[in-house]
Amino acid sequence: MKKSPMDIQETWDSEKGEDNINPPILKLEKNQEDGRRNSDHNMSTTLLSKQSDLILPSKGLLQLFLTNLREVILGTKLVVLFPAIPLAILAHSYNLGRAWVFALSLLGLTPLAERVSFLTEQIAYYTGPTVGGLLNATCGNATELIIALLALRQKKIHVVKYSLLGSILSNLLLVLGSSLLCGGLANLKKEQRYDRKQADVSSSMLMLGLLCHMLPLMFAYGEKPSLYTLSVGATLQLSRACSIVMLLAYVAYLFFQLKTHRQLFEAQEEDEDDLGNEEKAVVGFWSAFTWLVGMTAIIALLSEYVVGTIEAASDSWGISVNFISIILLPIVGNAAEHAGSIIFAFKNKLDISLGVAMGSATQISMFVVPLCVIVAWIMHIPMDLDFSLLETGCLAFAILVTAFTLQDGTSHYMKGVALLLCYVTMGACFFVLRNPITNKTSDSLGVK
Amino acid sequence: MASNEAWLLENGGNIKGSSREFRHGRTAHNMSSSSLRKKSDLTLVSKVPCGMLRDLLANLQEVILGTKLFVLFPAIPLAIAAHIYGFGKSWVFGLSLLGLIPLAERVSFLTEQIAFFTGPTVGGLLNATCGNATELIIAIFAIYEKKIAVVKYSLLGSVLSNLLLVLGTSLLVGGLANLRREQKYDRRQADVNSLLLLLALLCHSLPLMLRHTGDSIALMEVPTLVLSRASSIIMLIGYVCYLIFQLWTHRQLFEAPEADDDGASDEVAVIGFWSGFAWLVGFTLIIALLSEYVVDTIEQASDSWGISVSFISIILLPIVGNAAEHAGAIIFAYKNKLDISLGVALGSSTQIAMFVVPLCIIVSWIFGIKMDLDFNMLETGSLALSIVVTAFALQDGTSNYMKGVVLLLCYVVISACFWVLRTPLRKHFNDFLSPKIPLIQDFNCQPKEPSKLD
Repeated sequence: MKKSPMDIQETWDSEKGEDNINPPILKLEKNQEDGRRNSDHNMSTTLLSKQSDLILPSKGLLQLFLTNLREVILGTKLVVLFPAIPLAILAHSYNLGRAWVFALSLLGLTPLAERVSFLTEQIAYYTGPTVGGLLNATCGNATELIIALLALRQKKIHVVKYSLLGSILSNLLLVLGSSLLCGGLANLKKEQRYDRKQADVSSSMLMLGLLCHMLPLMFAYGEKPSLYTLSVGATLQLSRACSIVMLLAYVAYLFFQLKTHRQLFEAQEEDEDDLGNEEKAVVGFWSAFTWLVGMTAIIALLSEYVVGTIEAASDSWGISVNFISIILLPIVGNAAEHAGSIIFAFKNKLDISLGVAMGSATQISMFVVPLCVIVAWIMHIPMDLDFSLLETGCLAFAILVTAFTLQDGTSHYMKGVALLLCYVTMGACFFVLRNPITNKTSDSLGVK
Repeated sequence: MASNEAWLLENGGNIKGSSREFRHGRTAHNMSSSSLRKKSDLTLVSKVPCGMLRDLLANLQEVILGTKLFVLFPAIPLAIAAHIYGFGKSWVFGLSLLGLIPLAERVSFLTEQIAFFTGPTVGGLLNATCGNATELIIAIFAIYEKKIAVVKYSLLGSVLSNLLLVLGTSLLVGGLANLRREQKYDRRQADVNSLLLLLALLCHSLPLMLRHTGDSIALMEVPTLVLSRASSIIMLIGYVCYLIFQLWTHRQLFEAPEADDDGASDEVAVIGFWSGFAWLVGFTLIIALLSEYVVDTIEQASDSWGISVSFISIILLPIVGNAAEHAGAIIFAYKNKLDISLGVALGSSTQIAMFVVPLCIIVSWIFGIKMDLDFNMLETGSLALSIVVTAFALQDGTSNYMKGVVLLLCYVVISACFWVLRTPLRKHFNDFLSPKIPLIQDFNCQPKEPSKLD
């Protein structure tokens, strides 16, 4: 059993005002000891948690239960969005307009995603760093994964593709851009540096993912397909092979990140004084596990509503399904990480912001997408990696621009502005594109 | 004085005066054209007895004769004469082109002079808007005459020319002249410009890709137009942020490095504010007149010279419009002051890509003309490759002549491509030029309707 001393401790420091930032913001300090290490991913969501007033647990079971409840449910600033969950279930049961079900489900997903992240972190205290890192790596984008799998089950392949693509674009351009912008504006006089090696690794993984997306596309466009390739669905086979390759690469990346080169990915040391407390998990292992399972079940339920009502919402709001999948869904799914990333950039801790944004993008591109293709393979659904010209072009562009921006190790607000404007332009593009729902990507035996 | 400093430059002096000039907002853009000036010899004028006449003559001498390019000034009245008396249209075209060269340089000089009076920020802004006045005026006239293809090609050619030709020759000449020395520059300026050019490239690529996603190209025309207009607004916002970044919050990134010795005295404007302003307005009017001739006669010149309009728009027009900056950039590279050359070339291309092009879209929107950001496959591809090659070449902060060679060769290849491409702008051109050569093929290998180019 790994020993418990924790690296990161959280302190509740509002009145002391060491940071001159008014609303209570957690400070994270790092004990460079052996043991567990919080990844950037975890650290960002801790910002949205508040330390609950811990009453020393007395022997009463009810007391324990209430503490547990308070910690988990009320332990976040996003608690205000929790009522959306029962409302969404009500709306669905009583058939109160499908657009409402869609919107309420979206709102309900935001705090759930954050809580799942929190619970994963809590469980990681008990399981040690490596398993914790693995857990985070798989569950970090749980919302996107669940939405994608449910959409796959309902055979809405274009929703899958577009929502995953939108997640990558949102992480690379929106989250990163707004972080760099806020960080640059807040630190106008200071020099903003970060370690570019982490960004480089993520960029190269993303380029591999891009290659795996572009090959089926170019295959479909460039080659005059013979009857043979048409009949065996060559694009599909290529996509499945690429997915296996991408999963292998992701495993290698995990190995790199969690075992051999961990120092590249660890968050920066803080300069502030050591306030001494070590962190402990605030909920027990089994209760956290139970909560995790429970919340995942609710996420699954809400995601099912979302996927089921997306066309109805698109009709009643007058926006295309593409736009909703590419822009709205990822913004919701990423909201907690987004906020955390901005706050860290504000404090000139760019390594963490970059770790969150790039790590999340890499995870979706190299893990969730190939996983969906494999799952589709198992379910005999023909999903391939051909995301059609416009979307693949946007993806290529986003990866290139981000890789170019991050390659020199410094930052200023103009970089954030440029990335954000790229995202707005892509959003405008998908807004004006009004494709009917039955577009070419749902029939994907290869040739357009 | 600006001309004093230029005189020192020609005589192997230094430009320490340049560091002081940044109090007056002289960017690299301004400084480059100063190298083409000569110090006026005012002794002749001082012999004139009458005071006011003397001032006027001094003014005239400063403005008209203050540049080595003044030999080209006679082309202006010749062009006007050729137009009025109906000489061959290609003569009008050629003479107008020649006449535009010194005018562009003088406008730059006058903008700089006015900047002395208005302070650095407004001076920088003035330069940012007027720095590419020639290209802007030509583009607006072409829009007015509904020659959208000329607009697109000439602006694209400007960007390509700045990125590849000007930069390539500067790096080449600088590299050859400084073979033994290390050539360094601050890469952060190049990075910001490259990033903005990539944003501009995105805004160009999206309409192109959008056009090919729909089931039919005709269906996608309106969304492409709407997207282009939205992207133009976004690009203008980006340009404004870039100006704030360049002129206000991060000025130190863009200022040229100090020279070694302390030489020249404090500079002073050589002409008064109002006379500078008056000259500027006058010159802009003449530029407008010559640009109108150019845009009018471009097809006839293309006919009689046997070159396609696209080649003239992409290659010839920008070379003319950029001639002064080009010479300046080469001279500064020769003196191992690469930051200034880079500032000129990259700054100019960023200005055109992020300001002039979106402005033209907005202007055509106001006129009710359908111009979008879709510059066709070949042109957008050339643009993309140029930006990527340049960004890559400049990303390490040092330079050698080989980089210049590569950039120049890229430009030559692109020009060769447009030379062999004979794009008819109007249907009857098909008969004029070789009827066997196909129209531009679009991505799906269907012949493109010629109306798409207008």
